[in-house]
Amino acid sequence: MTEYLIRRILQSILVLFLISLVTFGLIHAAPGGPTQMMISPGMSPAAAKVQMHNLGLDKSIPEQYWIWIKNLLTGDLGKTFKNNIPVGDILWPTMKNTFVLMSFSWVISMIIAIPWGIYNSTKPYGISDQTANFVSYVGFAMPAFWFGIILQQVFSLELNWLPLSDMYAMDKQGNFIDLLYHLILPCTVLILANLAAYSKYSRSSMLEVLEQDYIRTARAKGVPERKVIFRHALRNALIPIITVLGMELPTLVVGATLTESVFNWPGMGRLFVDMARAREYSVLMAIALVTAVVVVLGNLIADILYKLVDPRVQLGRKGGKSA
Amino acid sequence: MSDMNAMSAPNVQQSVEPQVPENTPLPPSDKPPGPWKTVWTKFRKNGFAMSGLVVLFLFILVAVFANWIAPYKPDRIDLMIANLAPGTGNHLLGTDEVGRDIFSRLVYSSRISMFIGFSVAAITVIIGSIIGAVSGYFGGWVDTIFMRIVDVMNSIPTLFLNILVMAIFGTKISYMIMILAFTSWTGVARLVRGNFLQLREMQYVEAAKAIGVSSWGIIFRHLMRNASFPIIVNATLMVGGAILSESGLSYLGLGIQAPATSWGLMLSNSQEFMLTNPMQAVYPGLCILIVVLAVNFIGDGIRDALDPRQKNSRGRLAKWRKSFSKSGI
Repeated sequence: MTEYLIRRILQSILVLFLISLVTFGLIHAAPGGPTQMMISPGMSPAAAKVQMHNLGLDKSIPEQYWIWIKNLLTGDLGKTFKNNIPVGDILWPTMKNTFVLMSFSWVISMIIAIPWGIYNSTKPYGISDQTANFVSYVGFAMPAFWFGIILQQVFSLELNWLPLSDMYAMDKQGNFIDLLYHLILPCTVLILANLAAYSKYSRSSMLEVLEQDYIRTARAKGVPERKVIFRHALRNALIPIITVLGMELPTLVVGATLTESVFNWPGMGRLFVDMARAREYSVLMAIALVTAVVVVLGNLIADILYKLVDPRVQLGRKGGKSA
Repeated sequence: MSDMNAMSAPNVQQSVEPQVPENTPLPPSDKPPGPWKTVWTKFRKNGFAMSGLVVLFLFILVAVFANWIAPYKPDRIDLMIANLAPGTGNHLLGTDEVGRDIFSRLVYSSRISMFIGFSVAAITVIIGSIIGAVSGYFGGWVDTIFMRIVDVMNSIPTLFLNILVMAIFGTKISYMIMILAFTSWTGVARLVRGNFLQLREMQYVEAAKAIGVSSWGIIFRHLMRNASFPIIVNATLMVGGAILSESGLSYLGLGIQAPATSWGLMLSNSQEFMLTNPMQAVYPGLCILIVVLAVNFIGDGIRDALDPRQKNSRGRLAKWRKSFSKSGI
C-alpha cells in the first residue's frame, strides 16, 4: 500500500508537471502570444519594450516558464494584464460561487439517484426502471444548456415564478433565501445531468452484486429478501458507487461552464470563458492548473478509497484497472 | 488442447474470411454466418436501434440535400418580416429577429452538425485505435508513455481545453474538428489497448508470428479486425458527443460564426430574443436531442447485438473517468 501510494503520488506530480507544460506551451504557441495582448496599438516601440520588460515577456520562453513555476510554488498566481489585479483575488471568490452551485446539486442528485438506482436493481425492467432508462437516455442526448434555456422561458418568462439568472437579486446581495431561490433552475439542469449517470451507475453496480454466489447462498438459506438487499448486497454495491462519487469531487471546483453561462452564474466555468475571450493568460493558466490539481487529486483519492473499502482490489498491477 | 482449438476456431475464421458483403448470398454450406451478418440480424430486431438508424439516415439526407429542401437561403435577412410567428407567410417555423427563415436555418445547420460529428468520430477512431493498438500490442515503455499521456489528457477538463484553443487560435471549423478529435481519442485508445492485451495472447497471433508475419501485419490484418466492433460502438457514440460539443462551443460564441449557421449558434442567438420569439430556442435543441438520441440508440443497438451481457462489466471505473470529463454541462 505504502509503495503503491508513493508511486501514485510521484505519478500525479509527473502528470501535473506535464499539464503545466502543455498549458504554458499552448498559450505561448498562440499567434501573437501574450505579447501582442500587452502592447496597445498606439504605443511607441521604446515604450513597448519597457512594458514587455516590466512584465517579464522579453525573457526566453523556458525562462518565463521557470519564473511562473517558481512563483506558483510560493503561492503567487500572477496578476491580470488588465488592471493588474492579483489572480488569486479573482479566483477564490469565483471558486466559492461555483462550489455553492455544484455541491448543492451534487448532494441532491445523490440523494435522489442512489436510492432510485438501488430500487430499480431490485425490479429490473419495471416501470420505475424504464423511467430511469428514459431519463438517462434523454439526459445524455440533450444539450444541458438548452434545457436551461427552456426552463428559463417557462419558469421565469412565462410563469414568472423564478429568477431568470444571476446569483442574487440586485438589492439582496448575500441574502441566503434569495440565493436558494436563484439556485433552483441551474440546479435542476445539473441534477438532471447527474441523475442520468448516477442512477444508472448505482443500478448496474447493485445488479452486479445481486448476481454473486453469496447472494444466492443467502437467499437459499432463507434470509428475507429485505435483508439480502440491505445487509448483504447494498454494502458491497456501495463501494464502487462511493468511489465514483469521489471521482466527481473535482467538478465541485471546476464548475459547469455551459450551465453557468446560461444562468449568468459568477462561477469558475464562466470565468474561464470570459478570460479566454479577454485573453487573460495568467488567469487561464491558473484555472487550468488548479483544475488539473483537483482532478488528479480526486482520482488519487478515489483509487485509495477503493482500495481501503475493498481489500479484494489489487492496485497498480500490470494490465490492471489503474493502467 | 482441444478446448483451446475450439475457442480460437471462430477467431481464425474471422480473420481468414472477414466481412461478407451484406447482399451477397452465403454459399450453401454449413459455415456459420460471418460476424457482420450475425450482428446485423440481431440489430435488425432491436426497434430502438432501427428507428435510430432511420432517423439518422433522414438527417443525413437533409444535410446532403439542404439546398433543395430549404425554401430560403439561411442567411437571407429581411427586417420587414422579422419575428414572424410559425406558419405565417411561407415560413413554416416563422422567422428570427432579422427575418431569416428558421426552418431553412435548421436545415442548413444539420450540415455542420453532421459534418463535425462524423469527421471528429473518424479522426478520433483513427488516432485512438493506432495508439491503442501500438500500446496494447507492444506493451513495455511504449505502453507506459502512451498511457501517461492518456492520464494527462484525462486530467484536463475537455471543455476547458476546447475553449482555450478556440479562443486563442481562432474559431475556424477545422480547428474545432481538430481540437475535438484531439480531446476525445483517449477513450478509443484505452478500449483498443484493452482488447489488444487480450487478443495478442491468441493462438492465431502465435501462428501468424511463426509463419513470419510482421508485427504491423498482425496488428492491422488480424487484431484490428477482431477489435473492430467495440471500436464501431465507440465511434457511433462519439458522433453524438461531437455534435453536443459543437453546440456547446457555438453557444458560447467560440464555435461556428455567422454567416454560417449551426444549431448551437441558433440557440445562442435565441436566448437574446426569448421574450419576442420564445419558440426560436426550442427547435434547434430538439434537433440536437433527436440526432444524438438516434446515434446513441444505434451505438447501444450494436453493443447489445455483440454481447448483451457485456454492458457494464469490465473497466467501468475507467469508463466513468472518461465520461465525467466529457459531460457537456
